[in-house]
Formats: sequence, structure tokens, C-alpha cells
Amino acid sequence: MNKHPFSGMSRRQFLAGSTALGALALTGAGRALAQEFQIPEPIAELSADGPFRWIDSGDQKAVFYKAFLPEYGKARGIETVYDGLPWNEIGQVLPLGIRNNTAQDAFCLPLNLPPAFAVAEGWVQPLDDLIPDIETWKAGFPAGAFLEGLNVFDGKTYGLPYTSARVTSAHVLYNRKYLTDAGFDPETTPLTWDTFREAARKVTEMNAGRAFGFIMGGNQVNRFADITRCLANMAGQPCGDTSIGLGIDFRTGEPVFDSDEFVGAVELLLAMQQDGSIFPGVMSLNAPQARAMMPQGAAGLILQGPWNIPQWERENPDFDFGIAPTPAPEGAKGNLIVGALAATSNTMFINARSKNAQVAADVFHYLGTEEGQIAWGNVVGPSDPPIFPAAQANSQMSERAKAALSMFEQIIKVGPNPFARNPQLAEVAKVYKEPTPNLALTVQGLFTSQSSGVKEQLTTLVSETNKALDAAFKAAKDAGAEVSRDDLVFSNWQPAQDYVAADYEAL
Amino acid sequence: MADIASPVPHTGATTRHPISLGARLWKSRIEYLFLVPGMLVFGAFILYPIVASQYFSLLQWSGFDANQTFIGLANYAELLGDKFFWDAFGRSFLFTVSTVPLQMLVSLVFAIILNNKLLKLSSLFRTLIFLPVVTPVAVIGIVMTIMLSPFNGPINMGLLDLKLLARPLDFLGDPKLVLWTLAGIYVWKWVGVTMVYWLAALQTVPAELYEAARLDGVKNWQMTLFVVLPMIMPFAIVIALISAISALNVFPLIQSMTQGGPFFATEVMEVYIFRNAFATAGAIPRLGYASAAGVFFGVAIMGLTILQILAVRHLRNRETANGA
Repeated sequence: MNKHPFSGMSRRQFLAGSTALGALALTGAGRALAQEFQIPEPIAELSADGPFRWIDSGDQKAVFYKAFLPEYGKARGIETVYDGLPWNEIGQVLPLGIRNNTAQDAFCLPLNLPPAFAVAEGWVQPLDDLIPDIETWKAGFPAGAFLEGLNVFDGKTYGLPYTSARVTSAHVLYNRKYLTDAGFDPETTPLTWDTFREAARKVTEMNAGRAFGFIMGGNQVNRFADITRCLANMAGQPCGDTSIGLGIDFRTGEPVFDSDEFVGAVELLLAMQQDGSIFPGVMSLNAPQARAMMPQGAAGLILQGPWNIPQWERENPDFDFGIAPTPAPEGAKGNLIVGALAATSNTMFINARSKNAQVAADVFHYLGTEEGQIAWGNVVGPSDPPIFPAAQANSQMSERAKAALSMFEQIIKVGPNPFARNPQLAEVAKVYKEPTPNLALTVQGLFTSQSSGVKEQLTTLVSETNKALDAAFKAAKDAGAEVSRDDLVFSNWQPAQDYVAADYEAL
Repeated sequence: MADIASPVPHTGATTRHPISLGARLWKSRIEYLFLVPGMLVFGAFILYPIVASQYFSLLQWSGFDANQTFIGLANYAELLGDKFFWDAFGRSFLFTVSTVPLQMLVSLVFAIILNNKLLKLSSLFRTLIFLPVVTPVAVIGIVMTIMLSPFNGPINMGLLDLKLLARPLDFLGDPKLVLWTLAGIYVWKWVGVTMVYWLAALQTVPAELYEAARLDGVKNWQMTLFVVLPMIMPFAIVIALISAISALNVFPLIQSMTQGGPFFATEVMEVYIFRNAFATAGAIPRLGYASAAGVFFGVAIMGLTILQILAVRHLRNRETANGA
């Protein structure tokens, strides 16, 4: 009997290979090839009422959905519409859509809007009655993907946590030639704060004004917060990364912007600026512009996210670059901290008033299977990696992209999430008025010399943050929420380890 | 002819009754019918937002949720103590004060030159000057960001090549330069509109005046200074008013180029309002508070407008008095 050419191939290999062809088509290397998705049988009888509509924040996600949803629609015989909008527009469009009943069938929530709020307001509906045998389906996700208070409320599952949050926006990406010429090999010997500064200075000197050591998108103010927080995390000062937890050391429940690690991180940036190692005009560049400058040879180092990797590999195949962890001071053993295993910003919900809820659940189900996760990983790559470890391993990504994900497994830890502990903290988040200037603007002001005194400014920020938190907790309590500043204290947190469901129970 | 509303001398022959408002409306019903679509659009897109924002300004409301807490004038009280609000408020007027005179002067010079019928290719020049006006702000934002780039932007490269600079200037990143850079771009973009206003004003100068002045042997500069300018000065107030209101509404340009940064250096009132209403990076937006800032700013602009209307009226009265 003749052996079938694919008979020696495992199901997993087959899935990885077939979706990889599609990924190639989408990422440019193989544009002539068509993306093919293996759309499984529907999980229930489907009947669409009008087009099935999906909205999220676009970027690489848009690449996936613009390929997948038409295929899915064709397989199911329904019309699909995808909207990929910037976050600020989602913040405007979605609440309006909810109010006038025109919101999409499936959506992600605006940034900083706690899911508990959406549940309490009746924006979203549980998946339990829509996905048959939901517990078996959920069991396929890694432990910690579903957490009460984040995507599960009162035992009912509301959100689809399908991408991993174990990603940073501030790891080292570097021009290999420049760094090698300057005598550094960050992949072998990760940069310390001192060698990071020294490497930037040498690259600047060696290129005599034609290229500089370090570049960033200073016009995009959040970059100052991201970079500073990540540098401080790596220096050994753990803290939360979003909403009312931003800058809070959950071991004490206090903001730590004035810690030695944060002060040191800002002083490092200012010292590099003083050295003349920072690309002139960073204040005119946003993050994508800074990213685009790297392959042009404008700078040797940038602190950004892994989404650069597939983009540079695709658009600048001759650009030789490497990746490395976020710099840490010599001897420091810090970790980057994220607020949950699943990327909360990507978590998808089903509109409570959707007439196509069963269709949305069918898509959610697919994205929560190994097939869907591998297809996702093939197309999206390391930008928003699939949450299934097996899908990360079996997706067709470059070695560099896989190395980045592997590095994140080592340096990024899941920290406590106050909302998972007490969902009523959503009431605090609703009324929390972040101080102005916040961390990002404070650092930007110091960087542009519009303010001075690093320690003084960061101490003021701590004081203002405490005032703002106290006011928000008081307002929430006055409104009937059962909350307290103690909800921000996780005494059993060990920042070098993931904070898991058992830790919440042990509190 | 007696006015309808004016008292009619009683002659004893006939008595004319004033026509009622209803009768007058009915008489002009066709005209009012034509006004209805415009009024509907005005009501939906201008009147309603004005009234709604005044209502929102009295609420603590994110714009997200159904819970709107009435807090009276608390938002306004908070505004009074908000340093960033006053900084943005002052910056808006600084931007206006620095752009409007320059815009008016440059456009007046263009208009006087291009109004000369003997000038060849004047239509081409008018078109070239007007071209930035019809170019979308977003396009200008992107193009100018490239032009002004300190790394390889042609403006910096040119200045460096001419040895006018030793180091490139970060026009959009240096807090000392950025507002003035934006002011310059703003003037360049809108000078064409103001030029058209001036050209319209110049059409009102009677041709006989030019002829009489020429017969008297007046030179060109004397004609401009002593004949033309006094004739078109009353228009200056109106043009200044329009230009000032336009300069206070500069959101698209700033949002597309600096988003109010670096560190608030270009945060004018509209950007401040936008930041609080929608673009809060780490917190829930404050639509109520932003509305209060908007209402406050709107009242300030209205005050400016009233002042200018009073100035126009004063000028007219003075002219009338001089004429009498």
C-alpha cells in the first residue's frame, strides 16, 4: 500500500503547516498564497440576523480578522464586518454604540474600563449558555487565563482571554552591526544600565552624527511611562501596570514612583540625553516613526515591543537586528510585571443585545481551540501571542520571534490584579482621576527640561497619586461599594513568581 | 412710506391695523418652509450640542456609563483651581495674539500686490497662496512633520548646508520652539483665506479714488497708505474677528502634529478639552469636566466677539459722525 504523503505528519504539524501558508500570504513573503483556515463544524445551530460585526483595536489583529472572518462567513453562509479602530476611537464609538443599540456583536472594552463595569452595566452577556460543555473548552486554556473578577463574574464566563499578556513594550531591539562594532553582544550578555548607556554612547561616537545610540518615540507620551516602569521593574521594584494599580507595589499597596529604582531609571534616560547618545528629535517621533528609523540605521538601540520583529523581518529583510531583555542594573534580579496572564485589552466580549450572539460564541470557541490558536499565532506572530503555550510553540514564527516569546517567559511575571480580588474596585476605577501630570508626563517634563528635580517630581507624583486614590476610594465607598485601600495589598506576593488563583484564595 | 410698525398718523379717512405675527408668518410661509431643513440641521448639530454640553458640565459623568451624578457647579469650581486649564486657556490666547496680527499683515500685503490689475499671473499666485487652505490639516501635519524633522528634514538640512545652524533644530520637540513653529504653520495654511477677505475689501474702494489720486500725482505707496488703507480699515475689525475665532479653533493642526506636547507646551484649550473628555491615558474620561471647560471657553470667545462687535459699532458711529 502506498503511504500517503501526509501520513507521517502529526495533526499538530499539519495544522501548523497549513496555517503557516496563510501566514506567509498575509505577511508578505508569500502574498500569492491564499490564507486557508480550517473552519470547524459550528458548535450549535446558527442563524444570523444581519451581518456579524466584530470590533477591536486592529494592528496585527486586523490582519488576522480581515483574512479569517470572510472565510468564516463563507463557511457559515453569513456576512461579516470587521472594524479595527485605534483605542481612543473605541473609547468613543463603543459606549455610544451601546447606548443607541448599534454596538458590534463582539467587542473588546475601551482601555481602562474594568470588565466588572461592563458586566454591571449590562453591556455583555455570559458565554455559558452559548458554548456547549464550556468547562471542557475552558480546560484547554492555561491555568490563570480565566479569573473571577477579570473575565468571570459570579461563576459565569464573560470574556474570551485568547492572547497572552506576557509581552513587554520595552525590551531591547538593537542593530547588530552597530553593537558588534561597539563591542557589545546583548544576546549573549544582556545589557546592564551601565552597559546600555555605554553602548549608546559608543555607537554615537563611532557614527559621528550619522547614527545615534538610542531612539524612542518621545512624542508618544506613554512611552516614557512604559520605559521607566520596565527599567524600574527590572531594577527590582515591582509594581502594577494599569489603572488604579499603576505604580503600586502590591506588597504594601503604596505607589512607588519615588523609589530608588524609578528615580534611577529616569536618571539613566537623562544621563544618556546628557551624553548626546539619544537621537536628536525624539520628541518629534511617535513609536511607529521611531521603529521605522531603526532599519534605516538611525540608531543602535530601541526599547520597544516584539511587534517590531515580524515587521522588520517582512519589510526590511536585510536589516540585521537582535533582541535582548530590558536592561537591569548590575546584579539586579527584577522581573517585568503584568496584571494578568491573559491580555485584558484583547479580551473579547459578546454584546448583551447582540442578535448574533451564537455566531460570536462560535468564533470565540474556535479561537479557544488549538487549531484557532495556531492559526492566530501564524498570522499575528509575537505581537499578540496566542495564550496556549502549545500554539506558541507550534506557530510558524521566525526563530527570533520565538526567542522573544521564550525570553518573555523568563523575565515577565504575572502580578496580582486588584480587580480579580475585589470586582467592586471597578467602582473606584470609574471615579479615579489620575493625577496630572501622571508618570508619563512627569518623565517627559523632566526629559524636556520643562521641570527639574527627578526625586522631587516623582515624590510629588506619589503624593498626588495617593490623594487621587484616597478620593476615588472614598467616592466609591460613598456610592455603596465595599472597597478599601487594603484591597491593593497582597501580602503573599512574591514578584519573582506568577501570582495564581491559589494565591488569591490564600489571602 | 410709513413703516408697518411705526405709528400711522390718524387722518380720519382709514384706520390701518398692524398685521399680526401669525399673519406675517403665514404670508411668508413658503420662505419659512425653505428655512426648515437648515434650521433642523442647525438645531441638531449646533444648538443641541451647545445646550447638551451646558447640561453635561453640571454632571460628574465619564460619558461611558448610565450614572450621571448632578454636581451643580463643582466642575466649574474645580476648573478655577486647575493650573493646566489656565495654562491651556492662556496658551490659546497667546496663540491667537501671535498669529492673527501676522496673518492679517501678510495677507494684506499679498492682497494689495495681487489686487494690482497690471500684475501678470496674479491668478496663479492667488491660487498658490490659497492652495494650503484647501489642503487637509492631517496632510499638512504629516508633511510638515517630515519637513521639520531634525534628522533628515529638508528645512534643517537646508539650514545646516547654509551654515545658518550648527546643530539641527527640533522644531516640534523643543518646548521653546514648538508653539511658534505651529503658529508659523498655521499662518502659512490660513493666510490665503484672509487674503481673499482683504481682496473683497479692496473691491469696495471706488475706482474713481484711484484715478483721482493718480491725477494728483500720488505714488503707489502713498496711494496704499493714505487712500486704500483708510478705506478698508473698517473691514479689518471683521477680518480680525473671524481670524481670531479661527485661531482659537486650532485643534486639528495641533492634534495631528504634537497632541499638545511636549509636556503641555502646545496644549491649547481644545486639546485640553479633548484630553479630559476622551484621551485620558490612565483613567476613565471626564466628559462632564471637559464640558465645563468647553462652556467656559465658549463664553470667553463670545465675550471676545461681543467686544469686537462693539468696536465695529463704535467705528461706524464715528464714521457716521464724521460724515455728518
